[in-house]
Amino acid sequence: MNSGQFSNYQTNSFFDEMFYFDEKTRIKPHYEKVYKRLNGLSADELDAKRSQAVSSFLEHGVTFTVYDDSDGIERVFPFDLIPRVIPKAEWVVVEQGLKQRILALNLFLHDIYHQARILKEGIIPREIVETCPYYRNEIIGFDVPQDIYIHICGSDLIRNEEGTYMVLEDNGRCPSGVSYLLENRAIMKRAFPKTYQSMEVRSVEAYPELLLRTLEHLSPRQSQKPVCVLLSPGVYNSAYFEHTFLARQMGIEIVEGRDLIAIDNYVFMRTTLGLVQVDVIYRRLDDDYIDPLFFKNDSILGVPGLMEAYLKGNVSLANAVGTGLADDKVTYAFVPEMIKFYLGQDPILESVPTYLCWREKDRNYVLENLDKLVVKPANESGGYGMLIGTASTKQERNDFKSRIKQNPREYIAQPIISLSRHPTFCDEGVMGRHIDLRPFILYGEDIEIVPGGLTRVALKKDSLVVNSSQGGGSKDTWVLKN
Amino acid sequence: MLSRVADNLYWMSRFIERAESITRMVEVNQSSSLECMEDSLSEFWDPVLKAICASEIFNERTKIDIGQFLFFGSDFPNSVKNCFLYARENARMVRDQLSVEMWVELNNIYLFFQSGQAEATFLQNPQEFFQKVIRFSLVFQGLSGATIPHDEGWRFMALGTYLERADQTSRMLDTLTFQKHEPTRLDLLAVLRSCVAQTAFRRQYKGELSMTNVADYLLFSRDFPRSIRFSIRCIDENLHSLSGVPSGNFSNEAERLIGSSLAMVNFTDIKIVMSNGLHQTIDDLQRKLINVGQCIFETYVLLPFELQSAEKSTFIQAQSQQQ
Repeated sequence: MNSGQFSNYQTNSFFDEMFYFDEKTRIKPHYEKVYKRLNGLSADELDAKRSQAVSSFLEHGVTFTVYDDSDGIERVFPFDLIPRVIPKAEWVVVEQGLKQRILALNLFLHDIYHQARILKEGIIPREIVETCPYYRNEIIGFDVPQDIYIHICGSDLIRNEEGTYMVLEDNGRCPSGVSYLLENRAIMKRAFPKTYQSMEVRSVEAYPELLLRTLEHLSPRQSQKPVCVLLSPGVYNSAYFEHTFLARQMGIEIVEGRDLIAIDNYVFMRTTLGLVQVDVIYRRLDDDYIDPLFFKNDSILGVPGLMEAYLKGNVSLANAVGTGLADDKVTYAFVPEMIKFYLGQDPILESVPTYLCWREKDRNYVLENLDKLVVKPANESGGYGMLIGTASTKQERNDFKSRIKQNPREYIAQPIISLSRHPTFCDEGVMGRHIDLRPFILYGEDIEIVPGGLTRVALKKDSLVVNSSQGGGSKDTWVLKN
Repeated sequence: MLSRVADNLYWMSRFIERAESITRMVEVNQSSSLECMEDSLSEFWDPVLKAICASEIFNERTKIDIGQFLFFGSDFPNSVKNCFLYARENARMVRDQLSVEMWVELNNIYLFFQSGQAEATFLQNPQEFFQKVIRFSLVFQGLSGATIPHDEGWRFMALGTYLERADQTSRMLDTLTFQKHEPTRLDLLAVLRSCVAQTAFRRQYKGELSMTNVADYLLFSRDFPRSIRFSIRCIDENLHSLSGVPSGNFSNEAERLIGSSLAMVNFTDIKIVMSNGLHQTIDDLQRKLINVGQCIFETYVLLPFELQSAEKSTFIQAQSQQQ
């Protein structure tokens, strides 16, 4: 029954987003219109649409920077024209699960930096928390504005062999990618206007407004229109495009450390008309870099004196200081316990079973079974420094063995999960490629999630790594109204 | 607006104007150079290189085509390719201030220069290449007039454009004073054409092509948009609209300096200039304009206490990299 663009498509033994897997390959009903439209395209039409998309990204400067890449620092994030479609029923559950999770993580952070009940009751070992590099002694006892720590969260979701949604990790520091979500949508609406309209896709355009409202909610000066700014490390940061994009969409200033100055525990920005007091800083810098007086002496990115102003309550930060603790993949393993402990509920979204090399029993198991597991550093992001057992050499495994023995706290291991696959345009035609999903959760007065998120796709054949820095691309994600 | 943003907008415009001027100048001189013998080519280009302060760097290099050097020389800080690189880098930091159309134009010319396509076009079809670069600059200036509010940021862009333009016109004129011989008809025409002034000049002087008339026109024309007087008046207007202080008064050093330059070009005439020496006059003007640029920076970008501890400011470090 497959003809046209999909004529050579194989689901193999994977969970496929578009096709049922049984004797004959059948299309899932929520993909029918997409399938019809794409399958009918000629190779020329398709090429035209693809090059239109690429040149649109390039012209608008929708680029990211890859570290350690000497030739040309900017690249277009590869974009695939086949949209990922999520039916309403699936999304409702995911949305509830994510809300439950961000609530639990925030309660956890509040608890850790106040009474630490969860440690006292022995549910999470104290040592785990205190050895996390992102745990901040400095804010113990400090009441963050509105009692919210993670205002902007990007949790990565995958689907396993059965199609069950699972959380792979939480990004509670400075998750990026939302600008691609918005740009992808703009491009898809231009490329397939009728298909888009006829499928009744939920809009994502409100994100910048919701984000601004989330930020304004934090202002220490509620009596007047808050002055919010976006603090960026600057033009050489890999996500700089996103910083300018969001600032522009929100109509707030994008600032660098040198644009801000702290005087007598207040923070000001330097304008042509003099100094203007700043209320809320959406910072896209890690804790370590925001204040050279407080954290690191050699950084020029931050604002000397910012932390004092923050601790005095004169300026708010989003996300709060100290949220990196929730990104730690060791902490991740305890999120189901947090949900039970703080909310008295069962987790709606599953987590991936995680072995903590810090525990002797787990460590022994991991060391014995390295070839079947994926080993990840607990506090790295961007897909760096992982070992995928099935694709590793003996030398690499030995290397990881000694690293794990040397520093067990810093490594976790998980069974290798074969992520769901999605039809994707490749050089050889439409092929199945592994995908994940990064929704963006905003926690202000309410918890808001724009429908869907950024679907990332591993463009290399058989690759399970979707990060943009490791050859990943992205797709638009269509959550249906009905 | 943010001080840094004002600074970025100012430099973005300056670099774009600079790229356009250099392109016009090479276009004109390349066609004039066809009239001279191959072994006297370096002599021909010498005044031009001196006027744009490029002769030292160029002379260190042997066997490179002058056009390739001025357009693509990576070690020549003001090569057109570098100008676009800096302009775009400045623009990238202030994208929220530009219209999408402006950004797309600037990004396209940048990508054109980065891709090697520019160099190929320059070698195969120089005319098309010159047109493309000049057209970009004109489109960009048109867009900035027509697609963004004429607010504070726009004023800083105008300051950058006119300071650069006054400087470039003065340099074009200065090539005449670097000639080893009395400027010929060809030399005079080349200068006028580099400033797109040949038609306008003819209309005013009815074909009387002399050194004095050319200098008079480019220095003192009231309404020609590339004359030095016109540019200085625009700088004066924009500075006063930023501060809100009426013209003829001053509230900062930049306003005082530009006001005195304006008085000079308003109330002197070409006879006095020629008897004092054209080069000397141009030199004084250029120095004043550089000071105006510096004073704008000190007034709107630096904080008062940073003037005292200048070496500590990251702004000053960035500033010196730009120049």
